[in-house]
Formats: sequence, C-alpha cells, structure tokens
Amino acid sequence: MVMFKRTTREDTKLLKVVNELLRVLGKEKVLSGIEDRLCYSYDGTKQKALPDIVIRPNTTSDVSITLKVANKYEIPICARGAGTGLSGGAVPLQGGIVFDLKGMNKILSICPEDFIATVEPGVVTKHLQDEVAKHGLFYPPDPSSAAFSTIGGNVAECAGGITGLKYGVTRDYILALEIVLPDGSIINTGRKTLRSVTGYDLTRLFIGSEGTLGIFTKITVKLIPKPEKIDTLAAFFCERDNAIDAADLVIENNIVPRTLEFMDQMSISAVRGYGGVTLDEDVKALLLIDIDGTGENIKHDLSVVESACKKKNALRVKVAETSKEREAIWAVRRSISPALYNIAPHKINEDVCVPRSRIKELLQKVDQLNDKREIYVANFGHIGDGNVHVNIMFKDEPGQEEIAEKIVHNIMVEVIKLGGTISGEHGIGNKKSQFMDLEILPKELSIMKKLKDFFDPKGIMNPGKLFPSSA
Amino acid sequence: MSNDWKNEVSKCSKCGKCHTVCPVFLETHDESAVARGRISLAEALKDKQIGYTEKLRDYVYSCKKCMRCRKVCPSDVDYEKIISALLRGVAENMGIPLLPKIIFRYILPRRILFDTLLKVSSKIQRFIPMKKRGQMRHLPLLFMGKRWIPTLAGKTALQKFRKTRKVENPRMRVGLFTGCLINYIYVDIAEAVVDVLNKMGIEVVIPQRQLCCGTPSSTMGDVKSSKRLAEENRKVFESLELDAIVSACATCTKSIKNDYMHILGPSWKNMSDKIYDISEFIDKFIGDMPGVKPIGEKVTYHDPCHLLWVRDISEEPRNILKKSSRFVDMDMADACCGGGGIFTIIHYDLTLKMLERKVDSIQRSGADTVATNCPGCVMQIADGLAGRNSNIKTTHSIQILQEALKNGETKK
Amino acid sequence: MKQQMDKNSIDTRILEELCDAVGRENVFDDIEERVCYSFDATKERSLPDLVIKPHSTEHVSNIVSIANKNSIPICPRGAGTGLSGGSVPIRGGIVLDLKNMDRIIELNARDLTVTVEPGVVTKDLQNEAAKHKLFYPPDPGSARFSTIGGNVAECSGGATGMKYGVTRDYVLALEIVLPDGSIINTGRKTLKSVAGYDLTRFFVGSEGTLGIYTKITLKLLPMPEKLGTIVSYFDDFHDALNTSDSIQIKNRILPRSLEFMDAACLASLKEGLKAAIPEGAKSLLLIDVDGNEKNVTNTIAKIEDICRENNALKCEVAKTAEEREVLWEMIRSVPSSLFKIATMKFNDDFCVPRSKVKDILEKVYGLSRAASVKVAAFGHIGEGHINLNVMYDDGSDKEHSAHTFVSEVLKEVVSIGGTITSEHGVGDAKAEYVKLELTAQEIELMQKLKKLFDPKGIMNPGKIFV
Repeated sequence: MVMFKRTTREDTKLLKVVNELLRVLGKEKVLSGIEDRLCYSYDGTKQKALPDIVIRPNTTSDVSITLKVANKYEIPICARGAGTGLSGGAVPLQGGIVFDLKGMNKILSICPEDFIATVEPGVVTKHLQDEVAKHGLFYPPDPSSAAFSTIGGNVAECAGGITGLKYGVTRDYILALEIVLPDGSIINTGRKTLRSVTGYDLTRLFIGSEGTLGIFTKITVKLIPKPEKIDTLAAFFCERDNAIDAADLVIENNIVPRTLEFMDQMSISAVRGYGGVTLDEDVKALLLIDIDGTGENIKHDLSVVESACKKKNALRVKVAETSKEREAIWAVRRSISPALYNIAPHKINEDVCVPRSRIKELLQKVDQLNDKREIYVANFGHIGDGNVHVNIMFKDEPGQEEIAEKIVHNIMVEVIKLGGTISGEHGIGNKKSQFMDLEILPKELSIMKKLKDFFDPKGIMNPGKLFPSSA
Repeated sequence: MSNDWKNEVSKCSKCGKCHTVCPVFLETHDESAVARGRISLAEALKDKQIGYTEKLRDYVYSCKKCMRCRKVCPSDVDYEKIISALLRGVAENMGIPLLPKIIFRYILPRRILFDTLLKVSSKIQRFIPMKKRGQMRHLPLLFMGKRWIPTLAGKTALQKFRKTRKVENPRMRVGLFTGCLINYIYVDIAEAVVDVLNKMGIEVVIPQRQLCCGTPSSTMGDVKSSKRLAEENRKVFESLELDAIVSACATCTKSIKNDYMHILGPSWKNMSDKIYDISEFIDKFIGDMPGVKPIGEKVTYHDPCHLLWVRDISEEPRNILKKSSRFVDMDMADACCGGGGIFTIIHYDLTLKMLERKVDSIQRSGADTVATNCPGCVMQIADGLAGRNSNIKTTHSIQILQEALKNGETKK
Repeated sequence: MKQQMDKNSIDTRILEELCDAVGRENVFDDIEERVCYSFDATKERSLPDLVIKPHSTEHVSNIVSIANKNSIPICPRGAGTGLSGGSVPIRGGIVLDLKNMDRIIELNARDLTVTVEPGVVTKDLQNEAAKHKLFYPPDPGSARFSTIGGNVAECSGGATGMKYGVTRDYVLALEIVLPDGSIINTGRKTLKSVAGYDLTRFFVGSEGTLGIYTKITLKLLPMPEKLGTIVSYFDDFHDALNTSDSIQIKNRILPRSLEFMDAACLASLKEGLKAAIPEGAKSLLLIDVDGNEKNVTNTIAKIEDICRENNALKCEVAKTAEEREVLWEMIRSVPSSLFKIATMKFNDDFCVPRSKVKDILEKVYGLSRAASVKVAAFGHIGEGHINLNVMYDDGSDKEHSAHTFVSEVLKEVVSIGGTITSEHGVGDAKAEYVKLELTAQEIELMQKLKKLFDPKGIMNPGKIFV
C-alpha cells in the first residue's frame, strides 16, 4: 500500500481542494474519509494506492467542474469504472482524486433503427448487451469481465474478449465520445452515424488511452443484428500442437468462429474435477469453439470444425446438444482463473498477442524459460487472434516472486522477437509500463509523450501509467 | 475461527466479480457496499491503517449477509469469515448500538413490520438463556419492544406440538427446528410441515427446549450469545435419536447446518449432515407423492438468499410447487426481497427499493400466490404486497403442498 | 489553373538536392508531367512545382526532410482518384506519386495479415488475397484503380461496410514518414494490440496532413464461401427504404451490401446498359449476401420475399458471376453516367442515422425543387450513407445556387445528427463545411495536433482546415 507522506503545504493545498470541491459539488459527491478512500484504492491487479479524495460524479458537468479544480491545483486524477482492470489503470498511484464513474450508469438511448446506443461510462457491459438484446441487437465486445466491468473502462483499455476473431474489439464499435479534457473543457469526437471521417480520428486516439488523456462521459456504440443462434463445441487433444493445428485448419477452411479458445495442460489439470465436463488424464489441450449465425450455417460450420479437429487427431469432439451442456463446457473455461489459485497462491497474468503462426514457438519458448519448473505456467486464451493469456503462478516462498518476474520479462522479450505485442487487451497501466520500451521504440514513445503533454500539459491525468518511468 | 479471516482477506484478488450479485451494491454502486470494498477495509484494519469508526461500522452493517458474493467468488474467498470477524470486531470495539431512534424512524411508520417485530420481541426472550440478563442487551432490536407490548395471544408452535403426533410404523423420525418466526408468528408453517410429513409416514418431533438459532446475535457480532445458543441447541438435538432434522426457515437451516460448524467445530459434522431444508428433505427422502392433487391456483416462487446462495437449493421447492399447483416462474426470482435483520433498519430505503422490485416481479408473473421457503421472506413480501393492496397471497411452499394433499383427499 | 504553367518555383539548389537523394530519373519538373499530377477525381486542378516518384521508404524520408528544411509543400498521391481533393496540390510544391511503391511485401495466410506498400491498387490486393482464399473486405467504388495508401489516407468505406466495416477496421500497423523525415512504426502485426496510444488509427483518415505511409499492414478474413446478389426495383423510393428496414431491423439480416439508387441515377443509366431496368422504376436496391451456400440461397430467397412484400416492381437474382457483374457495373457506372445530366457535379457523401434517411431524402428533393437544381442520390443505404450529387452546367449561374443548395443540405444533415463526409474525406472540397459539424474548439484542437506533427505546415496544406 502506498501511503503518502505529505508536506504541510501539500496538506493545506489538499484541504483547499476538498473545500472547493465540497462547495461546487456538494458533500454527497465528495468523499474524503479514510474508509471511502480505501474502497477506491485498488483494481483487479491487487495493487493498492490510497487516493486523497473520491469524487462520485453524476453528470458531465460534475466531471468538468472537478477537472477544472484539479487542473488549477495540479492534483492527479484517476478515472475508475468498476475497478476490475488487469493492468493497474484505476489505481491512483500518486494519490489525488479518484473519479468513481459507477454512478454515471444510464443507458441514454438505444436506437434499434440506427443500430446505435449511447451510454454513460459507468454502464456495466453485460447490462448494455442484455438491453440491446431485447431489441434483437448485439454489442459484440465481450471481455471476460463483461458482467462487472464498465463500458467506460472497456473503452479506456480497448478491451477485447472472446469474440475478437469474428467481431473485433471495443475500438471497432465506438462511434462517438463525449470527453472531458484535463482542463475541464468538453469535446465531442466522432459522430452518431455508422460512418464519419470528418477531421482527425480523435475517437480512436482516445480509445485505449487508459485515462491519461481525458475522461469519457458519453459513449456512442455501434450495434449489429443479433445472431439467431450460438452452438458450442469442445475438442480434446492429447498434444498441444494438435490443438493449435486444428485451430489453424478451422480458419483455413474459411470458418470464422465466434470464439476459438484454447487451454493447455496446466490449465486443464487445474480445472479437472470442477465438474461440467469430464477431462480424462490423457487430455493435454482443449479447444472450445462457439459458432453463431442461422441454424443452417451453424450446422454446416460445426461439421467442418468437427472434421478439422478429428483430422488433427482430436481424442474426442463434443458438440453441446442442450443449453445446459453448452453451459457445462463454458464452465470449464470460466473456472480456469479461480482454479489456478489451487496450484499456487500468486499469479501474474499476461495477455500477450503474437501472429497466430507463431503461437507454437511462443509456447515452446515459455516452456524453455521455465525448464527448471521453478514456477507454474498455465496458458489459455483467444487462440484465434493469437492472444494468449500466459499465467505465471508462484508460491509464497522466498525468491519465487523474483523468479516469476524474471520469467515474465524474458517472455516479453520473446514475444517481441516473435513480432507480438506485450498487451492484446488488458492495457499497459503501470503493470506493463516497464516493458513498453521493448515494443515501442524511443521515437514512437516520444510522439506518444508529446501527445500526452499536448492534451495534459500539467500531467494530472492518471500519472504513472502507460509510459515507462524513463519516458 | 480466530485469525482465519486474515488468510481469507489476502485471498481476494480484487477482480470485482462480487459486483454482479451483491444486492446492495447493485442499488448503490458504492464500493464500500460490496464484499471487495469491505475486504479492503478488513485488510486496512488488519494492517492497523484504520481503527473502528462509525463510518466503518455503517459499512459493515450495510452487508445483507446473503452470501451471493461467496458463491460467485472466483478466488473462493470465504467472505462469511471476514464479515463475521468485522461484525465481531465492531461489537467488541464499539459495543452494540442501541437503535431506538432508528426504530422510531423506520419501524414505527411501518405497521405490519412493526406489529410483527413486536410480537416476536414479546416472546423471544424465552429462547434466550436468561440466566444473565446482561446478555439481553446484545439483542437490542428484538428486545426493544418487550416492555410495551403484551405477549402474543394464542399458542406458539412449540406449545401446539408439545406432544409428538404419533405415526403408525413411521418410516423415519425427524426433528423440526422451528425457529423464532415460525414458532411465534407463522405457526401454520410448522403445522404444515407436521401434516405433510405425517402423511408421508414420517414422525415429526418438535423438541420443546430448542432455542433461537443465534442468527440475530451473530448479525450484531455477539459471538458469545450465539455460541451459548448453539451449545444449548446441540444438547437438545443430540440427546434425541433422530434420522434427520428439518427446518422450514432458510436462515435457521443455514445457521444450524453451516454456521454451527464454525461455532461448534467439526464435532457438529454428524449432526450437520442430517440437517435439511424441508423441500430438500422431501426431494431426497420422499420423491413421488401419490395423493397430491394440484390446486388450481397459479403459484410462483421466491428464492430466499440463504437457501439459494448458501445451500444451492432452488429446484427442490420448485419441484414441490410444480407437483402441487399451477407453477409459474417469475423473472428475477433469485433477487433479494430486501428483508433481513439490521440491514432492514439501517438501510430502510434500500430495503424498500428491493422489496418494490420483488413485488413488481411477483405481479408480473401473474401468480395468485407467491411461495417461498423462509418465514423472513414471507413477512417481508407480505408487507410489500399489502402495501400495494394486492390480492396475491404470500405463503410457504410446504403450505401449498399441504393444500394439494388435502385437495387429493377430498377428490377421493 | 492557379499557377503559371511555364516555370516552377523550386530553387535549383533544392532540386539538385532532391535529385541526389532519390535519383534524377524520379524527379520531374517538366510541365507535361506536372499537368498529369495536378488533379484528382474532383476535377479540381492545381499545378505542382515538382513531381517525385519515390521507390522506397528511404526515398520518401529524404524527400520529406528536404521539403521540411525548405518549407516546400508536399502532397502525397496514390492513384489520384479521390473525391475530396486530397491529392490536389493546391499550394503547389511537390506531388509525391506513390504508385511505384506497389509491392505486396508479405501475405501471411495463417496470420491473416498482409503488408503492402501504399501504391498497391486495392483490387490487386483483393485478388492476391483471394488466391489464398482470403478476403480484404473494404471495397470502395474505386477499388479497381484507387490505392491502399489513398484508402487509408481517406479511411475509405465502400459497399461492404454494412457487414465488414471500413478501411480503419483493417489497418493493423503502419510505417509512416513524419513531416521531419523521420520514420516511425505504429501498431503491431497482430490481430490485437493495445500498447500505448493508437497512433495507427489516429493517422488513418488524416488525409496526408500528418505524414506519409510507406508500409501498411492489413488484416484479412477467410473468404466467405458464397456470394449471392439480388436487385429490386421500386416505383417509389419509400418502398425501397421500407424494404431495407424490413431486411435489417425486422428480419435481422446483415447483408454484405445494401445499395440504393434513386430515380435520377436510374434515368442517367438507362441507355447502353446490360441490366434490364423495368419501366417506371424510380429506385433500386442492390443487395449482396455472403456466407455458406445454403445460407446464402435461403437468405436471398427471404430478401426476395421482403422486396415483393414492399411492392417491388421487379426482383432479379444473379445466377452467375457474370450476371452479378452486370448488376454491380450498373452501380459503378453511376458516378460517371451522371455527367449526362450536367457537366459539373458536386458530390457529397454524407451519412445520417439510418432512421433519418427518409427525412433527409424528402428534404433534399424538396429543397432541390425549390432551388431548381438537379440532384441524384445513391449510396450504402443500410448504413444511412448517401452519396448526393448536385449537377449543374459549367459556367452557368447555377454554380452559385448549387453551392447554396449544398450548404443548406449539409446544415440539415448535421442538424439531424449526421456527418458531412462518411468515406471520401474532407480534403479542400468540404473544408468550408467542417465548421457545421465540429465546434470551433474541436477544430482548433485538430489544428493544434496538426501543428504538433507538422509545425511548418508542409503536409498537404489547405486540406481539412480552411
């Protein structure tokens, strides 16, 4: 836990800020008690840093007013959706103000005829998905945190998820943003139309900016017609490479599954016995495939997928016959994260992404890096788009964490060599900022820094994130 | 118990999944209202970053203890241990608050609840070991009315079944743990349990010396009282040679089956294994019920938190209702009705919101009757429906079965 | 012509420096060559001082740094087929003809990625991908002659946008020469990447005002098994719009394309066309569906039913690739056949929320009658996109009224939540209308960003911003 020792001058400044905010926002929206600050000090990375003030805005104007004050006094600002991020984005590393945007959770409009919805940032992704489904529509981005993470957070990190191969990521569904800039001014980017190319694409510059450029207060998303039906298939393999080859073959056969998930041996052994689906000892890799569309094309695609898996020596292919069976298959996938804690109590979760043809090499490298079996590594993820979640598990013993961190570093180096990226969907935050210069060269980094300074000359927006400490 | 909770605290990965189910968080969106937030407060207490403050107490009390979060937690954090420790810490460090002001403000204007509470209050003392009167202050809410309200007229369940109804060659002998609400208010639920089981050839014993399960005191962090109650109840039930113990109260079942494992330790395991919710018991030991003729009414079912989220029981009561009525499911059947102990008093506004939503669901379902498996929910929902002058009846699922059995007999 | 035709204004010393940097054979200052690079498909013309034809990133970098040093405007040019004036060197200077940088560097079928140079013609890339059973979906009407570089610079759309999105959605990584001549790489050749700011998509659609792409990595998709095409004609455009609503909203069908054409477009077409347009046809829908065989057949049948329910005069399902080609040729020939109506055309590709298409078309037709200008509308109706063509004769006093009319239409478009350009870009043709859509603050912000990257203002000056 980072606790801030402040000088008296800083304390006085803080007191001024609190008073000013209380005056303009009212006491309901300004929390400064230690109990509240503690509740907004963390995110899904388990890191903690105590904010000085928690602001709970209800409107764009609340956000704007707060930013004006923060900018005047140069107080750090950290925007927070549900605080479920996996790269530290919502942790107020340098104290200051945390914006709890959960209160801005209205779906402002759903226009089925326009294929457009406008929401406030605090809307939970699943809630939006459910609401648009009532109109026969579909908001495809589906991070595994969809049931509790917010659209605002998804946009800030450019979240991906299991539907990425077929449907793309959050970025591909954002049409327009209302953004409060660090000086408190409000801009609108993009347009609430399915297409627009007027001027520079500020919308996409802000998507994935991890709260370092501005705060989204309204988000307009694109919707598509909801696929009629989803079917699920699980294929069990005794060799990891067979599963990877089968995934390749599926795509080679012109099938783009809605999801194409992979689990390696360690992941499987972690979930074995969790019920749902029987996992025999000889199962060493698993593919989990969702196909969506109309009844006809699903039937066709499933048979293609099934024969592709068999061709690559699948031990068994199981097509879910009922929604219960489908649920059971997915329960296997969903139970990985919790189940991994049965292997070891600590986890470093990386979401690297490599070109699909390099996945085998990546996994071999990971094996080699851990050839002494000092720690446990479980790999699973969205194999269709090369996005592998490498989970480094280690015990509560001296030296383990150092070993784990060293291995993570070496994995990152390999990922870059393979033409991959250090983060496919979780964002950089502070957890991965130390690896940024492996991927982003000094020139590109300096341009990003320039953009940051341009929008946020005082550096109040989410300081300590995205950029390596050297930048 | 001791320091177990500290390990649980460090298990929390702060993933945020508890957001999805916490009925309080879904209303307030306050991070301090959800397990993850309270765990971070527990962590800060552990590290001595904060002490016991009024605000902390409010945040601790804002938990409904429905245990949904425990059920969905990917890291398998035993939140119950943590919240219990927090409640205990609050009680030990700050004392247990007297709440007359709150009662005046929130309970008095609410007649049905008020009457009910007072009726309970007037009687409940008998369930508490009264040797040391000083202990009584630990149950402020329930005892508050004692001085003003005369005892409830009529027989309590215990009085009514002082003598066990004999069954010829019983296939089983089971004990009924009535719980306070059924004993004092919903005596007919106890009657229905006895009726139904007797008809199935099962003898029902209602031990006369059974006491309150201890939930009210543990809710206030009063560990000592809960422990004493548990020990008394152990003596009572262990002395009888019963094939099983059933209860028609979801909270009591949770308490004596699950919580007593922490309070009394592993030696309770044998008894704990024999404790069943009434619907669970029927499903497991009776199954087919010839002689049941479904009643004509449309009945829907509300899942009590403590049955669904702690015990994972949802199909069993529905099966009973499907056999004995025209069953219709309601949307959001598993949403909390808002009832439950101290929370109802401190967060009356939220309680009402949850209740209104629940009543909306019930009305949307088109049912004539809403059944549930917890007298606490019966009380809360009946209050909500009465508030809307609805004709929909509130009852326990076992009472529907009782009617269906009667229906079968008359048709013969 | 805005400049004198006989001499250029580039200092000989600088010319020599440029020749040294990229080879004399790639630098052209003769008037003939300069004339050939003075226009694009807007018919607007402006003479460059020099035309340079680089062959490599290094060439581009050298040229740009010399231009930067000497503050000479640079206008990158792909095929010069843009519709907003993006590649017209309105301030003279250097036109950078990127047509020689036309290699498909690497197509990786397993990774579903391809890296190309900017001068590759879009259709060539599509064909190359097809050889590997892969599909590059963005398909602007000019795909057969426009370049990928130009597509990225304007963020082109095309008929497949409905189902597959636009160019932006397929650009994974870029190599860019910045205005100071330095070379950067943005994005990653992976299907997902979120490390740092999204410079890639910030540069997509920047219309040559921020930098010059020298390598472009694109995402590909597996080729759909089958393509089905159906055309329907209606005697009232309202029926066509109702049909589109029924297909997309009521029946939740997501066609690959859903193209609309109004009476004026159809009238301009009629002669010499292979497609048989029925008498009385006042509007047309051309619909593509893709997927597996059975699926396509059934969906087409369903769409045919929907069209008939909505009073289609005639429906025709393409049975062969040739028949499909005939139908699509009809769409593709509209922009040029419109010149039969009048010699001058102002084209705007606005986009409104889908539900407002009917309102805006009624408004457009009403306004055009009042202003006595001739209009023809077609477009990707499924997305609310309309390509509005305002026709007038050269030299006539109609130019002014056409101009006034366009302003009025665009004001209306913006007021109902639409955008002034959905795929052609702003260029200089629409620069004056940007202020309708963006606030002064937002325009200023973009201008400042422009300045951040291009402090001397050498990159395609006069575009986007007035």
